This record gives sequence, C-alpha cells and structure tokens, in this order.
Amino acid sequence: MILGSHKLLRPCSGQGLAVAGTATNQIPFSSNCVRLSGYEWFIVAVTISALFYFVPKLWEQVEKFRPGSDYRLPYNLSDDYWLFSRYRQWACSDEKTLVIGDSVIWGHYVSEDNTLTHYLNEIAGRDMFVNMGVDGIHPVALAGLLKYYGRDIADKNVILHFNSLWISSEKHDLQIEKEFSFNHPRLVPQFIPNIPCYKASFSVRIKSVIERYISFFSWTSHLKRAYFGNMDLPRWTLEHPYENPLQNITLQLPVSDKYNGNENIPWYEKGVTKQDIQWVATDNSLQWRFFKHSVELLEERGNRVFVLVGPFNEHILNDASLDVYRQMKKKIEAWLQQNNIPYYMPEVLPSSMYRDASHPLGEGYAELARHLFENESFNLCFVAKKANLRYFAE
Amino acid sequence: MLFHTWSFVLFFLIVYPIYLVLKRTRLRLFFSLIVSYFFYGCFHPLYPVLIAYASLVDYLVVVRMEKSSRRKAWLFVSIFNNLALLGFFKYGGFVTDNLNFLLSSLGIPYAIAEPGIILPVGLSFYTLQSMSYTIDFYRGDIEREKSFVAYAAYVSLFPRLLAGPIERAKNLLPQLHTTPRISIPDVTDGLSLFVVGLFKKVALADYMALYVDKVYAAPEQFMSPALILATFLFSWQIYFDFSGYTDMARGLARMMGIRLMLNFNNPYLSTGLGDFWRRWHISLSSWFKDYVYIPLGGNRHGRFKTYRNMFLTMIISGLWHGAAWTFVIWGAVHALGRFLTRELEGTSFYKEKVPRLVKQLFVFAFVTFAWIFFRAGNISDAWLIITRIFGSGLENPNCPVLALVLIFAVWLYQLVYESRIKWVLELRIVRVGIVIAMIIYLAVFAKSSEAPFIYLQF
Repeated sequence: MILGSHKLLRPCSGQGLAVAGTATNQIPFSSNCVRLSGYEWFIVAVTISALFYFVPKLWEQVEKFRPGSDYRLPYNLSDDYWLFSRYRQWACSDEKTLVIGDSVIWGHYVSEDNTLTHYLNEIAGRDMFVNMGVDGIHPVALAGLLKYYGRDIADKNVILHFNSLWISSEKHDLQIEKEFSFNHPRLVPQFIPNIPCYKASFSVRIKSVIERYISFFSWTSHLKRAYFGNMDLPRWTLEHPYENPLQNITLQLPVSDKYNGNENIPWYEKGVTKQDIQWVATDNSLQWRFFKHSVELLEERGNRVFVLVGPFNEHILNDASLDVYRQMKKKIEAWLQQNNIPYYMPEVLPSSMYRDASHPLGEGYAELARHLFENESFNLCFVAKKANLRYFAE
Repeated sequence: MLFHTWSFVLFFLIVYPIYLVLKRTRLRLFFSLIVSYFFYGCFHPLYPVLIAYASLVDYLVVVRMEKSSRRKAWLFVSIFNNLALLGFFKYGGFVTDNLNFLLSSLGIPYAIAEPGIILPVGLSFYTLQSMSYTIDFYRGDIEREKSFVAYAAYVSLFPRLLAGPIERAKNLLPQLHTTPRISIPDVTDGLSLFVVGLFKKVALADYMALYVDKVYAAPEQFMSPALILATFLFSWQIYFDFSGYTDMARGLARMMGIRLMLNFNNPYLSTGLGDFWRRWHISLSSWFKDYVYIPLGGNRHGRFKTYRNMFLTMIISGLWHGAAWTFVIWGAVHALGRFLTRELEGTSFYKEKVPRLVKQLFVFAFVTFAWIFFRAGNISDAWLIITRIFGSGLENPNCPVLALVLIFAVWLYQLVYESRIKWVLELRIVRVGIVIAMIIYLAVFAKSSEAPFIYLQF
C-alpha cells in the first residue's frame, strides 16, 4: 500500500538500490535523511516566516543609518529599494517636504551641498526639504517605487519632479520593440501594461513582484548592493576567493558619491551641439502616463503634491525641436491646471548653468531654488504658513 | 520552464490543486497528459507534436505486435523509429561533421550541409523509456497498455519528462492506472525531496559552475592547481545538478502520488567502479544493463566476451550522453577502468585489506579524471587539460574556499549517512535545522539562477 508504507519506513531509509519493476512501496525514499513530517514542516514554516519578518526589522536596529542634512541615497545604492524604504520612513517621521524625482533632484553632477534641496533648505533656513531623488528613476519606475516602497508617504508635502528627458525619444519612453537595458526594471509593471522593450523572463518578472511584497527579499538585495558590490555571494566569492564574506558585512553603509569635481563644466564646453529631439507626444507617452499615475497615487494618499516640471535645457534644442517642446509643455500645464495640481514650470536657466540636456550645475540649482521661492503656488503650498522662514525675514 | 524557476512554481501551484480535484475522476490521466504536453510545449511549441508522434508509434507497434506473428519485425519498427528520432535530432550534426572530415581527408572537394537541428530537450530520455515498453512487451514481461492516453502520459509525465528517471512501464503504468491516494506524508515527503534538489541545483551546482565554466572556457590560461580544482568542482557540479534535478522530479511526482525510482545513491562513496554505476544515474545504468549489456550476452560467455560487452555498453552509453567523440572517450575510459579494477575488486586483498576510505578516494579520483572528457569542449581541450594538469607549474588557483567548504560539508554528511552514526542525521533537530539552513541560504545567498540542467543537453 502506497500510503501505509510511510509508517513502516525509517525517516531516511534509502540504502539499497531501486530495481526496475520494484514494488512501489519498496522504492527507497532518498539517499539522505532530510525527510520531514507535517509537524516538522510546520516548525520550518513558522521559523522561516518569523525569520523573514523579523530579520529585516532587526537589521534596521543593527545597521547604522543616520541621514543628516543634505543626505541623498548613495549613488551605488540607487536600486536598493529596501534602503529607500528606510530613508522614506525616516523622512516621513518628521514634518518635512519630500522632494522626489530622478537624478535632477538627486544632483547627478554636483556634490550633496549643491543640490536643489540644499539650496531650498538654505533659503528656508532649516532642514525642511529632503532629497529623495533616485538616480536614473524614470516615471514608469517612479510609479512602482511610490506604489510598493513608498507606502507610508501619506499626508505629506511632496514636490514631484518631472524630467522631460524621459519623453525625448521613443527609446526613453520605453516604447521601442527592441530589448535594451533600462534603469530600474524591477519597478516597472511586470505584466500589465506590457512594456515593449522589457523582455525579462517570466520567472524574473515573478521574482520582481514577490520582492515588492516580501521585504525579506528586498533586504537580501540590500545586502548584495551594500556589501557585495551588487553581486550575489557566489559571484563575490569568485572575485574574492579567500575572503570571509561575513567580514564584508561591516554594517557601515557606503557613502559613495557620484560627484566628480571635474564634471562641473557647462554642456557646450563638452562638445555637445544642438539636438533635434524627436519628442513623444504626451497623449502617447508611457512615461507621462505613469507620471500622472504617481501624482494621482500621492494625492489619493492625502499628500499635498506640488509638481516641478524641468527646467529642461532648451538651449540644447534646435528650433524645430524647441517648438514641439513648448507645445508639449503647454499640454502638461493644461493637465496640471485641469486637475488643480499646484505646479511650477520655471523658465529656462542660463545656458552656462546646465551640464547636459536636463541636469543643472550647482549655480543652476541655486537659481532654481530662488525661482521656486518666488513662485506663488510654491509659497502657497509650502511657505506661507512658515512665517519664521529666513527668506521672508530677509 | 525549469523546476528551479518561479514560472514553474506558478505552473505547479495552478496545476496541482486541479490535479487533486481530478485525482479520483477519469479526467486525471487526460489532465496529466495535457499539462505534461503544455509543460513540454513551453520549451518549443512543436515538442509536444514530437513526443505525441513517438508515443503513438510505440503504442501502435505494440497493438500490432499483440496480434501479429511477426513480433520481431514490429519490435524492429519501434527500435528503428526511436533510433531514427535520436539519429536525426541528436546525431545529425555529429555524423555530418565526421563525414565532412572524412571527405576532406580523402581529398574529395564536397561538404555535406550542416543540418542545423536543435536537440529537443528530454528526447534521449523518453525515447529510451518508450523503447523499453516495446521491448518489455516483446519479451512478455508486461501486458499491452490499452489506453493511449495512459501510455502517452507514461511517456510524457512532466516531473520526469526532461531528464528522467527513465522509468519502466511495469513500475509507472500501474501507478498511473491506480487512483492516487495522496496523504499529507506524500506532500511533505515530496516537499523534502524538492527542497533538497533545489538546494543542490541552485546553491551548489550553479555555484560550482561559475568556477568550472571560467577555467574550462580557456584552459590554456590556467595552471595545474586551477585545472585540478575545476575538474574536482565539476565532479560535484554534475552530481549536484543531475541528482538535484532528479530529487525535484521525484518530489513533484510524490506529491502527485507517484513514486519514481531512486536515481542517485551517494555515488562518490562508491568503493569500486561497478559500485559507482550502481549508484550513479541508476535508471540509465539499469536500462543499458537490461537492454544492451544482457542482450549482447552479458557475462555468460567467458571473460573476453564479458569485457567486450561491457566495453560496447559503455561506448554506447557515452554516445548516448552526447554526440561528440569526447563522450565516446569518456565511455571508453570508464570501460577501461572497469576492466582494470574488476579483477582487483574481486581479490580478498582489495576486499579486506584496503581501507574503505582509500577505495572511495580512488574511485572518486578515477571518475573525476574521466569527467575531463565529459566536460571539455573537444578532444584537444581535454588533452590540453590533462597535459597541463601534469605538466604545468603551480599558480594560485583563486578557487573560492566557500565552494570547497560546501562540498566538504556534503561529503561529510554522506560519509556519516553511510556510517554507524547515521542516527545523528535522523535526529529531528538536525533534519529540521538542515532544511531551515538550506531555505535561508537559498533565500539570502544563492545566485539568482535560471541556468539549465546539464543533462538537458543530452
């Protein structure tokens, strides 16, 4: 009898060989002793569940994370969404205004004391604005980041930045059929809607979805990114064959910064010429559609959302491209007005204040911060109630 | 859709509850067949057509054989059809290459076009399984299967479709006909087997592969220590990879109330080469023994013919593994090893005086040496590796110590398993602790892998 045989067998009766035609109740179970009963599997399930739940929480107690003034996520940990969640928790625990966006907010070509949030805080006279920029995060991924890793961004002041660069071509808009490697694939919709250039296997997509819901897996990704150079343990040991991997877990988060002083040069001095950008119409744009989702999501959560569009480097555009860009801006503005979303579309900064098509240099950020504080909508949203701001004192 | 991927987990999570609902109904076999064909179709949409064809031919052959007086002719049809499938899909390129080499050696300015056919996964396994049915029926060992659906399900059952175990009809068909009584122990046993297999594949085999692939991709760049360690790691890689697959296959089948045979029994603890082949890929070894070695005469006609039969069986086994001369040489090396050790193993000195551990290490060293031919890309690479192992100097091999520690831990486990203190491993705390450790290791440290199983290429 097939079922009855279990009770007759020892836990790991496996010696001897199966012979073709052997009665099924004589087939050896295995060649090891790993054979658990229902009760034992229950113990395993409870233990694993507890570990999955508590280890990331305990880790937060053990691993030092003290974001200070001008803090931004380390460049190398841009896709460490577990760390983003921790940062978000810290930022949301105080009455701060979250400034969310891509590398323009993060400050790709500038040091952390030259970013937009630094200058906003300087004008405000206190640490009021938090740099929650994530390098390379395009609107489709940003929507995923806010949805799955920004769950407790609720009842907050949020400045959401839109970088028109992400609709500057069908490729940037993730609309081409040909597969290419884009930023933050784990955050984009894995199944619906279909992103034509995203060709990951079914398993990779499922894994990405699971990681969003079980923080243990985003914590393991954090370990890889923070301590093993974004490698899994086997690959890391291949490069460090005689090192003890546990020693690498120093519990000190990297403070790597992309900033390189030599990069503080305007775009035209780098040999960049005027460009004929083939803008994707906002009506057809995937990135714009997801940016709108992000705004709606944040508003649904009770946040006070202020949208900052640009300032894109219009000096880099040729006339035809500039015309299309201006029409596109009008459409964006119309949508924001239609939905009563406070916004600011700054005028283009002086050409010398841009590093490339979308990133200002330090001076540009300072200028932009001043413009923001002069903007009526911005003042209504964030400043009017703060009578003690230094800006007004001056 | 490999067992260690999330897509398979999803597939099984959908299929299994339906199977449980249907298990007492007539639809169970039909459902098993459909999901097996779907599973196979995920690799290529035409594969189900191929397996349906192979199944149909053998099913009809047996139908005809039952009524015909020319049973041998029908058996020939079955064997020819299966070998033709293998020949066309697996050996087409090999034969063409060798014919072209022969033509150019003879100075004939003509080259046959490469067929450019991709070997369908699992073909080598299910053709052997299907063939065993017709041969067993011819021999009168089994009765004819009345239902084509049952027969097709026997050939294509998805847990064992890709790489075995190669089950005999007399073991599997009766199980398919019986309504499975799936109890909680079946599910928990299946899970136990699956987790062990998953760990072997993802945490161990794919880890070893990183170093092995690096060294074997450019053996001329590595010195003796690296080549030795890469070959050593490959020994374990192939064991973890294939036995891991089998464990998962057996675990899945067990959850479905089906018992598949044990395919690996700690082969690296063998004390002789004969013993090794009774522990390594048991379903294939026993297939070749029953359908090649014994029909050739086995050991019944004197020493010379015994060795001849053994040699032929090993060569055919080598060729079955892959359409390349390296596999033929691998088979020949094993045959040669068997000749040399068979007599030695029979002596009282070897049996009584040589310590067990020495025998095990000797067998392991020999098998590991033979793996060089199995793993090398071609004969010249294999030769290069052997000459560099013995002839090149010393150099830091940069082999991950962690990989060696894991291998040592497994080897120690197996040694204890086959010792008098096996009871230690049977303690609840040890078994539960090992499972928790494996799951945590998989979740935290293991490489994200969708690497195929090595044996899928055969």
